Amino acid sequence: MISPTLLQPPAHLSPSACIQISQQAPAFLQSHTRTVLPYPLSVFSSGETQEIWQAYETLLLACLRTGDDKSASQCLERLVERFGEKNERVQALRGLYDEATAQDEAALQKVLEGYEETLKEQPTNMPIRKRRIALLQSMERPTDAMTALVGLLDTSPTDAEAWSELADLYLAQGSYSQAIYCLEEVLLVTPNAWNVHARLAEVLYLSSTASDSPGNALKGLSESMRRFCRSIELCNDYLRGYYGLKLTTTHLLDTLSKVPSKPATATSDPVFGELAPPSLASIQRLNELATAKLAEIVRRNTAGEKGWDGYEMAEVIAARELLDRDTLSIQR
Amino acid sequence: MAEERELQIHPIMQESMQHNARIVSNIRALTASLFGVAAGTLGLESFPGFLFYLFGTLIISLLIYAFRAEGKPNMYFYKPLADLWMGDLFGGLMSFVLTWTLFYGLVKA
Amino acid sequence: MAGPIEQQIHRDPALFYWILLPITVVMILTGILRHYLSTLLQTTPKKQALLKMREQRHLMRARNMIINHAQISKAAFNKRKEWFADKVKEGTLLESGPDGKAKGKPNPLSDPAMMDGMMGMMKGQMVMMVPQSLIMGWINAFFSGYVIMKLPFPLTPQFKQMLQAGVGTRDLDVRWVSSLSWYFLTLFGLQPVYNFILGSNNAASQVAQQMQMQQQGNPMAGAEDMEKIFAAEVENLEVVEHWYVLDGVEDRLLAKFASSI
Repeated sequence: MISPTLLQPPAHLSPSACIQISQQAPAFLQSHTRTVLPYPLSVFSSGETQEIWQAYETLLLACLRTGDDKSASQCLERLVERFGEKNERVQALRGLYDEATAQDEAALQKVLEGYEETLKEQPTNMPIRKRRIALLQSMERPTDAMTALVGLLDTSPTDAEAWSELADLYLAQGSYSQAIYCLEEVLLVTPNAWNVHARLAEVLYLSSTASDSPGNALKGLSESMRRFCRSIELCNDYLRGYYGLKLTTTHLLDTLSKVPSKPATATSDPVFGELAPPSLASIQRLNELATAKLAEIVRRNTAGEKGWDGYEMAEVIAARELLDRDTLSIQR
Repeated sequence: MAEERELQIHPIMQESMQHNARIVSNIRALTASLFGVAAGTLGLESFPGFLFYLFGTLIISLLIYAFRAEGKPNMYFYKPLADLWMGDLFGGLMSFVLTWTLFYGLVKA
Repeated sequence: MAGPIEQQIHRDPALFYWILLPITVVMILTGILRHYLSTLLQTTPKKQALLKMREQRHLMRARNMIINHAQISKAAFNKRKEWFADKVKEGTLLESGPDGKAKGKPNPLSDPAMMDGMMGMMKGQMVMMVPQSLIMGWINAFFSGYVIMKLPFPLTPQFKQMLQAGVGTRDLDVRWVSSLSWYFLTLFGLQPVYNFILGSNNAASQVAQQMQMQQQGNPMAGAEDMEKIFAAEVENLEVVEHWYVLDGVEDRLLAKFASSI
């Protein structure tokens, strides 16, 4: 009745799942018309479960993504009916709907003003604050979005979602050290999130390739490699982790063979941390491990073996391409 | 301190732990009531009754170890001695005493 | 001679159907009633003012820093530690701002947040205690004055007072008990049954009652001086012996996968 994909958090839906869901929307909406029993009986059976409202929210977002505005507005009406207009989450969903169906810049501006009105009365309305920041981003005012986000984080410094959004904004701007700071804040809140470790590793890698001093570059690379190791330690078959590990170890082996002098001791650098760079032997072994594991994942996934099919197609293709880069260089 | 560090390096998921503990507790409660029925029907008195309970719980723990934990309790429980073998003994004891008293009275009269 | 001789009392089997079963059914139903009652009586959490939320979350961030300091490098940790210490010294993180520093502890009886906390606690305790006393009264009214069954195990004589409440004889073996003891047995023994029926999150189990006693400390803490709490956190941050999770991670990883390379 309610398929498992409907209950997944909406951000995780792949485009194909999204289309599928939105196609089923009219049927779903028809079958779930609410009949509320009169008061005495409604105490015993309310005819609703907790999951159905999550399903409505996911359905709403899927329909907006595929452009099915009619079904989306029906979902929204039902949510408003059940939870009231004043509910914060419902307000945010309504705002989202208005943004998605806005025809032009002026309409978007009106929605923005609507948000600011609401925030004047209720400054703690977090969903609306976040919607406002998202709207500013889509209206291409990144500096305003950044200021608003910093303000939100001053009030609520334990909001991991907001910190990672800020990290993305800084990254788009190219301020690597600030993006690293933000991602570290996310780790303070969720220390075992291996995807955040991988993301931090990726940002470190980018910043090390962009930096001009070779000492810093080396430090950044080794830090990045270690972060990838940590993400694999937390999640044994993490494709993204192995990909990054292979990339960084190859790069490190390259750099270390070119740089004759080895920077030996640990120093304390606010951006790149202070551990001594890893030994050549361990880098080589990690490279072999990463290559072997990537090859195994690609092989088993393309063979369609059970238990190995959870990987995303695009990631597996990228892994294969990385592996092929190696073989190409050998053939040369 | 070392244990804390170990937990940071290899973290444990709280939800899974609770789920496993809940399952063990459910199994114990159910089997304890059944053992109570048996003890009451058999007319066991004080010491033999409690011995029967302990013996039965041991068998149940062995069965959980063999069939549910597949012989590898460390994978499922953080401290298997406390959680698997001695988990929720008190709750089980209460159910046992309840059904034992009930059936003892029923049978004896 | 009394004592070692087995005391036999013949009882009417109808006793069971008319006494034990009704008490059991009533206990189960009141347990379920208690669970739903406490769920319904829960007040929705009140919205917090912006500054109060900010104060609490900065405190939470400091605590996260202490717990999870291993995830970030020593330099990054020190930077945050100094920032926090500066902010606490200035007093800008407090709800009342840097000027309110000298206000001191609010009076427990007049602080509205504390009142809500205490009301919630009292409601919880009422829901627990009222049904229990009602049922005990009902049992004493209807089911007292006779023994109903024999316990399979012996108890100390002190229990005689409680478990043989209405019975006139004095030499009766402790194992013969009145219906009140059945009430106690079911009170303790039905907890697993509640877990079955209501899911493990139910408000009817005894353990939850005991934990409510422990949480008594919690709302009281809100009245304490936030300034002192912040200063204590700054000290805790100073004391932290920082270690870095990435230190040696590659060796750990290689050791873990040594077999599969």
